[in-house]
Amino acid sequence: MRNLLKTAAGLALAFSLGAPAIAQDTLTIGLLVPTTGSEATYGQDMANAANLAIAEINAAGGVLGKQLASTVGDDACDAQQAVNAASKLASSGVVGIVGGYCSGATLPTLKIFGDAKLPMIIPAANSTKLIPENPGNVFMVNSTGNDQVAKAIEYFTAKNIKSIAIVNQGDAYSQDLADLTRTNWEAAGNTVTKFETTNKGEQDYSSVVTSIKSGNPDAVFWTAYYADGGLLIRQLREQGYQGLIAVGDGSNSPELFKIAGPAAEGVIGFSNPTAEFLPDAKTFAENYQKAYGTAPGPYSTLTYDATKLLAWAFTTAGSTDFDAVVATLQGANFTDTISGPISFTPEKTLARSNFVVLEGKGGAWTLPQ
Amino acid sequence: MGFIDIFSQQLVNGIVLGSFYALVALGYTMVFGVVKLLNFAHGDLYMVGGFAGFLILSFLSPFIGPGWFGVAVSMVFAMIAVGILGVVIERVAYAPMLSAPRLSILITALAVSLVLQNGMLTITKGQYVPFGSALGFGGVNLGSLFISYNQMILVGVSIALMAGLEIFVSRTQYGRAMRAVSVDKDMSRLLGINVNRVIAGTFFLGTGLAAAAGTMAGAYYGSLWYFMGFLIGLKAFTAAVIGGIGSIPGAMLGGLILGLLESFGTQLPGVGSEWKDVFSFSVLILVLVFKPTGLLGKPEQERM
Repeated sequence: MRNLLKTAAGLALAFSLGAPAIAQDTLTIGLLVPTTGSEATYGQDMANAANLAIAEINAAGGVLGKQLASTVGDDACDAQQAVNAASKLASSGVVGIVGGYCSGATLPTLKIFGDAKLPMIIPAANSTKLIPENPGNVFMVNSTGNDQVAKAIEYFTAKNIKSIAIVNQGDAYSQDLADLTRTNWEAAGNTVTKFETTNKGEQDYSSVVTSIKSGNPDAVFWTAYYADGGLLIRQLREQGYQGLIAVGDGSNSPELFKIAGPAAEGVIGFSNPTAEFLPDAKTFAENYQKAYGTAPGPYSTLTYDATKLLAWAFTTAGSTDFDAVVATLQGANFTDTISGPISFTPEKTLARSNFVVLEGKGGAWTLPQ
Repeated sequence: MGFIDIFSQQLVNGIVLGSFYALVALGYTMVFGVVKLLNFAHGDLYMVGGFAGFLILSFLSPFIGPGWFGVAVSMVFAMIAVGILGVVIERVAYAPMLSAPRLSILITALAVSLVLQNGMLTITKGQYVPFGSALGFGGVNLGSLFISYNQMILVGVSIALMAGLEIFVSRTQYGRAMRAVSVDKDMSRLLGINVNRVIAGTFFLGTGLAAAAGTMAGAYYGSLWYFMGFLIGLKAFTAAVIGGIGSIPGAMLGGLILGLLESFGTQLPGVGSEWKDVFSFSVLILVLVFKPTGLLGKPEQERM
């Protein structure tokens, strides 16, 4: 009788919190990714990769004697929607979070997950603005903007480029990358001819293109996402801009070539490691293709590794206790990965740079010879 | 590039952008003139027009090619198809609300906008769709000023459409009926004008122009997206207000002014592109403060 009452009280509590009842023999991981909106392809891809990792972990016996499951919170790459999705995930009984693609949308969720005492692993979002907002529960397995800027400047310098124009979209990710690039590029004694900000969703970039051309830069660096980047690249080439065009990791998508067409030939991209360029990811790519019928996208390898890292942390800590898991992650030297070993700096960012340079060739990203 | 070159290049950019705004603004202003409705779904009909043009072009391009001729033919079909959609929307969603308070019909328009946007989101799964036209990159160089053939064709087609509309409204009997209905619906009905048919015709024309702009934008910029109508809808509405909402020449002028403001706003010394919208919307506020009826709008007269 007493047990029955307890259960009833528990159920009532669960319902009053609006939490879906999660069965006791599974551990659910929350996936915070955009599955609608302009970045939906990336988000779906990340969810697929996480679910692939979960399926493999379950097949090998699960975690702490339980099976893993996942539930998706759609942040739509929008800060407001992200807050709603994060609050919903935090109150649904998940044991940890894997996710965060758009930095701007990820930023306000860190505190929500921190307050809920949930460990979070971010596979994609890499704005340096995320670092000071970290309440202590967040680990970033993608190299941050600092590493990308270092790689970009190294590349420009090697190509004997002296002046660049930087174009961003005014959101946390692209503005951060643009500001960092400007600061470091100018500190290295080079010039930034123009620093432009455009609206997300704008179709016409002709006035920005004219403004860029008037500064006559050796290179144009687009720091935001592929959809609008494709339009900008197309319009730059159409108006006869001849110099180098480089894009940040947010534009590392095959979709860029669909939008920009032949104009994207020769475009340089800085990217975190993707499956096709990683020798260890061959099996992963095959399994992914088998499971979802498409090739894995740019953030799938990191999301796959992030999911495995979280599962490993639960197993190593021996429980899903928040403090134990965070301590385990902080001391991690995790090598069971396809994108390279993962260990963290005291700031909880990846302890090494993982950026590579890619070149657009024949309508696809390739490693330059 | 010298100052003159930048100036004239931005002038060209502004005219091209402005002709898009003008085409879309015309639909806003015509519908407002006749039924006093701010049709917030108008930007989304531009988007649907883009997708309709794309579908038609994919069917037709094996026969007539993906160049400008193919795009032009697709544009005409898209105008007709989406024009009919506009009439259907008017019949289904707006006609029953015409005698209701203005706020109700405004909310209906927002609902139609959401239905169109989310319908397209479901169909395209949020993906960008490449338009599949092949227009080439050619153009004319005048010194360092560059005008592409595409830009010339775009502006030419826009001017032709607007001139056609102006002639239709000012010279034909149907156009006269439209003007009459916009002045006084009840009196027009007493004089034997079929008001419902005039309203349907207005929606057909306005929506058709938006579809024309949508198809041209898809072909010119090269890709389509379910959300592409939102920003241009907002901008075209602004253009219509600057020109004087309800006034057809006003919408054309407003579109052109807004396009030019945005182009030159990008180049403001020491400010840069992030301020261009602040710049153009400040002009909107100034116009509303000093001439609330817009540049070419006539003040509404209260009759006893």
